[in-house]
Amino acid sequence: MKNRKTFLKASLYFLFVVIGVFFLFPVVWTISLSFKTMPEMYRFPPKLFPGSFYLENYNFVINQYNILAGVKNSFFITVIVVVGTLLVTIPAAYAFSRIQFKFSKVLQFSILLFQMISPIVMLIPLYRYFSRIGLLNSYTGMILIYIAVSLPFQVWFIKGFLDTIPIQLDEAATIDGCNRIQVVTKILLPVITPGIFSASLLIFIRSWSEFVIPYVLINSPNKMPVSVSLVNLQSSLTSITTQFLAAGSVVAIAPTVILFVILQRYVVSAMTAGAVKG
Amino acid sequence: MQSNAIARPGKDYLNSLVKGPILWLLPLVVVLVCFYLYPVLDVIRYSFTNAKMTTNDFSYTLRSYATVLTSQAFYQGLWRTFIFVGISVVFQFLLGFMIAYAVEHGERLAMRGTLVTRTIALISWAIPGVVIGVIWKIMLEESPSGIFNYILSLFGVPLTDFLSNPNNAIISVSVANVWRGTAQSMILLYAGLKTISYDVIEASLIDGANFWRRLWNIILPSIRSVITVNVLLNIINTFNTFDMVMSLTGGGPGRSTEVLVLGVYNRIFTQYDLGRGSATAVILLVINIIIALFYIRLTTKEEGK
Repeated sequence: MKNRKTFLKASLYFLFVVIGVFFLFPVVWTISLSFKTMPEMYRFPPKLFPGSFYLENYNFVINQYNILAGVKNSFFITVIVVVGTLLVTIPAAYAFSRIQFKFSKVLQFSILLFQMISPIVMLIPLYRYFSRIGLLNSYTGMILIYIAVSLPFQVWFIKGFLDTIPIQLDEAATIDGCNRIQVVTKILLPVITPGIFSASLLIFIRSWSEFVIPYVLINSPNKMPVSVSLVNLQSSLTSITTQFLAAGSVVAIAPTVILFVILQRYVVSAMTAGAVKG
Repeated sequence: MQSNAIARPGKDYLNSLVKGPILWLLPLVVVLVCFYLYPVLDVIRYSFTNAKMTTNDFSYTLRSYATVLTSQAFYQGLWRTFIFVGISVVFQFLLGFMIAYAVEHGERLAMRGTLVTRTIALISWAIPGVVIGVIWKIMLEESPSGIFNYILSLFGVPLTDFLSNPNNAIISVSVANVWRGTAQSMILLYAGLKTISYDVIEASLIDGANFWRRLWNIILPSIRSVITVNVLLNIINTFNTFDMVMSLTGGGPGRSTEVLVLGVYNRIFTQYDLGRGSATAVILLVINIIIALFYIRLTTKEEGK
């Protein structure tokens, strides 16, 4: 029995290493490349680590290409989308969780249906409306689309959190003279703060990654989020300058990856909560 | 408080409005109608026209559907999408399950490194799809110093054209997508595995059931619904993938990796053929809805239990 356990542990460790290499290697390789000089990049056989911390690639993407403008735009868009999505989602999730009405279920499932529709389908007419009313290349309309695509999942997600709170809490507050708005703001919101936090994280990462919406709607370089900015960098470079692209990629993923690694506990619990419900 | 309410009927009305669902759902419904429902209906309308992106006049016709449904290019695109989805979903599931099982088991044995492994396995989830495309393009570099070619050469594999050969390109895109989507698979299956009570597994250990029997008779049946949900979500996510393919191959070489979504984009935004593009988009929409209905049926069945 003891032998068996040692064997089991050894094989699990082996598996851990394989998993670790498979998922980490592409990221490590990109980071390594971002510090390499051009001769180093074309060296054969390739070396896993660069000879020195060569910063010229970062200098190029930051000072010449100005990728940080994209990062700044992404932050701006993402923060508004997080706040906007929560403002729309929380009341709706409350209604689905606490108010009984006809068509509640039907409505909830039609929302689920929306979640499955590829954004490119809606973007076709939206592009035309926006060009007609002069909203192309502006954040105003685009942010609303970002919010729209993150709504369906979030309504279900936050409703899931509200469902775990006993309704007696609401009832007690109502007896104390609270109306529904007060029940939400004074009683429920403080209780589901961890849920709201996880929801914000998920919205943040999703919006940061969003590509097709800004790719279709934004064409001025100084308004692009970092995802589109990186694709433009890619198309402006040739293969001999791949190290610039690697540096750009590192800049583009650093915010979400760091956020994820620090807060992974919340993300995992958020995602598993969604999974068990789903 | 009460006398106040009687004195001001406006406030009374507001109170009753707050009691019902309408006020709470209004923002959601407005956003969804403006940015989902109306545009979707409009795409359906466009699909029955010969409209172009460049002009505003058009007439209604069924020609767009006729052209799409009789063109070989459409079926080739559909076929490529199926290959892409098929490879992705199978391997995302297998890998995701393996990792979920290893991590969950490691946790039970309180092994060190479990949390680190779990975090690493999920990193791809926090990386934007376009960046994943860029990273894989770097790794699949076709010169001898390209890292994949170098590693394979250590095993005696000759220099491979991962992205410039049409047959290899669709496989490369699928592999990159497996790397991308395994995280979501893993986390769902991991959550599922955590719900299995350990007593059941322990009992089978005492009965002397081997690993494969335990897997087949106990573990997989217990998480059957999670598996189905997972597979359906992976199908829909892969089906709608645009970002990663765009930066990895741009649909090329030729049209060898132009999956359906990319085809819609190209038809409309580079060829300006709104009618045909919309007809393809509606077909895409129908496929999306069919998968969604499966998903909804499953979810309601589970809730009914």
